[in-house]
Amino acid sequence: MQSTILLTTFLLMAAVASIFLVSLSAASAGDGAEKAPKLEGVRLKFFIAILLLGVVVSVSSLRPWPKAVAAGSDVIHVKVTGSQWSWEIAPKEIPVGKPITFSVATTDVTHGFSVYDDGGHLLIQSQVMPGYINQVSYIFEKPGKYRVFCMEYCGVAHHDMTDELLVVAQ
Amino acid sequence: MAEAHVTRAPTASPCPAEAAVKITMILTFVVLLLMMAFGLLMRLNQAAVVQLDPTMFYRLMTAHGIGMVGIAGMSGAAIMWYFVSRHASLTGWVFWALLSSFLVGVVAILASIFIGGFAGAWTFLFPLPAMSGGVWDTGAAALYLVGVIVIGVGFLIYLVEIGRALIQRYGSLSNALGWPLLFTGHQDDAPPPTVVATAVIIVFNGIGTVVGAAALTISLINLYLPSFTLDALLAKNMIYFFGHVFINASIYMAVVAVYEIIPEYTGRPWKASRPFIAAWNAVMLLVMAVYPHHLFQDGVMPAWAMVMGQIVSYANGVPLLVVTTFSLLNYLYRSGIRWDLASALLVTGVFGWSVGSVPAIIDGMISVNNVMHNTQWVPGHFHLYLLLGEVAITLGFAAWLARGEAGELLSGWKSRGLIIYAIGGFGFATVFLVSGAMSVPRRWAAHLPEWQFQDQLGSIFAVATILGVGIIVIPMIKRLAMTMRA
Ligand code: HEM
Ligand SMILES: [Cu+2]
Repeated sequence: MQSTILLTTFLLMAAVASIFLVSLSAASAGDGAEKAPKLEGVRLKFFIAILLLGVVVSVSSLRPWPKAVAAGSDVIHVKVTGSQWSWEIAPKEIPVGKPITFSVATTDVTHGFSVYDDGGHLLIQSQVMPGYINQVSYIFEKPGKYRVFCMEYCGVAHHDMTDELLVVAQ
Repeated sequence: MAEAHVTRAPTASPCPAEAAVKITMILTFVVLLLMMAFGLLMRLNQAAVVQLDPTMFYRLMTAHGIGMVGIAGMSGAAIMWYFVSRHASLTGWVFWALLSSFLVGVVAILASIFIGGFAGAWTFLFPLPAMSGGVWDTGAAALYLVGVIVIGVGFLIYLVEIGRALIQRYGSLSNALGWPLLFTGHQDDAPPPTVVATAVIIVFNGIGTVVGAAALTISLINLYLPSFTLDALLAKNMIYFFGHVFINASIYMAVVAVYEIIPEYTGRPWKASRPFIAAWNAVMLLVMAVYPHHLFQDGVMPAWAMVMGQIVSYANGVPLLVVTTFSLLNYLYRSGIRWDLASALLVTGVFGWSVGSVPAIIDGMISVNNVMHNTQWVPGHFHLYLLLGEVAITLGFAAWLARGEAGELLSGWKSRGLIIYAIGGFGFATVFLVSGAMSVPRRWAAHLPEWQFQDQLGSIFAVATILGVGIIVIPMIKRLAMTMRA
């Protein structure tokens, strides 16, 4: 997921850079008396094209709904509570291949709950808000140790607010 | 030394408080360099090259964040002030008042951080200022909030004064926004680009600043009356609304310099066409509707707000870039432009802004945000359009302000400085993007060993950036000071 995002971003950035390079290379040509080329029509078409493209990509990225929370009888519920600067997670051992829904709450300031796999990829995250319970779901495909990091700045030991989850085979 | 192709636009009246604008530019250089040094220290600490106490790291982070956002706002305000005065008559003391409130606020903020130990991050996310886990006390948090409020009040006075001047000159705000031309296709005394952009900015930034002031005031009262609380989600909405609007306004204010200065080089006037007016008026609404993209990780936010945040994230970026970037390249094409420091920096700035909006728009998609939110992807994209965008435009404006009668062509140390700065800035931000894609969280004082290679690389680019900016601004300080005495 992340590498696709990075690659797409770099390609689009390179496209922007090439447009600049190509147009600027012709900038110092001309004697200054010329009028700018009339590109209003092109500009409008360009605008409509990227707007349409963007909206289509954007809308299609919303299915399936990326914030869907798993519910139902086979869902395993994990309760997560953040406090400056530690996590309380129950249960800490969860089964592989089953939908897990984390319900996250805080006793003090805002925190950010996140789960990382052993390759260091961020898998899921949710803000942990005073006065609210947020939910986020995931199905773990591989057994093993997963790390829990804090993703919202919560004071001077924010980076120490880490914990672990164990995903076990049935 | 060859002469650059520069024609001076006729100025209706000299800019009131021009000295304050120049002082603001010099202040900008000093603050930028100092805050960049703080940034380098943070990066070196993440790289495990230096060892700071985490409390010091987070103090530096708080100072860097508010210092950079504040100086971006201040320099943008100076640029817009300077150019609006070409089209409407402004009252000089107002800009001096803004500058004074800024200085007073900065002193309060620095004291709260480096004497009081406040390290709640520039976003003062409720209720963190009041709940530091015993690290800073109420007084320090209060001093920080008061400092930001003082600056906010200065900005409100500034925005109101510009609104007053535009209404006086154009009869109404809607005339200054170009509505008659937009809706009927005809307007006597149609507003130029600067006026349209300014009118849009003062509307949305005025609203943003008021919301920010409210969030600050409530947080301040809460420090002393804990029973007086605010819903944390509402507070977060208010703070991100304010933060998003304010930083965007800073960039847009600076962009006015492009509309005003580039025509002097190309000899082709920048026209406020109907699409231009439509784009800016659309932005006025979109920039305020887009902030829910900061709240994609709050599952309790209504789904419609998230969907709106995603769609508008895209729709917000596009029109402005089309009427600015596309038109800029169009105006430059075969214009015979001769590059000097000012024109080269301005174009670099539009490039940094345009290219930085790519990772920003991508992160505005919920499915991407799920894995990129609060990773270093975020400082990656905003350093692109701030460090390489807003800052470059500001330096370009300053170079234009400090230029001699005949602009000197870009060569020697000036061009070396620009290249070092551009490569440094681009590399620095790109390394953040790569780290973000490797899931490195932002705002972490200490990094895992497997993240430190990028941290070291980023530090090298940071050194280059500082060097390049130093080479560019130090000669300009002398020039600006000289033109002030003259
Ligand atoms: C040499 C130049 C710069 C360096 C070395 C630098 C370094 C940094 C670092 C290390 C961070 C923290 C990253 C993290 O969260 O892990 C940061 C955050 C930030 N920087 Fe910069 N920066 C530079 C220039 C700028 C400029 C020019 C601006 C704006 C005009 C800026 C605005 C910010 C803001 C708003 C933050 C967020 C602070 C927070 O998370 O609370 N920076 N910078
Ligand atoms: Cu935390």
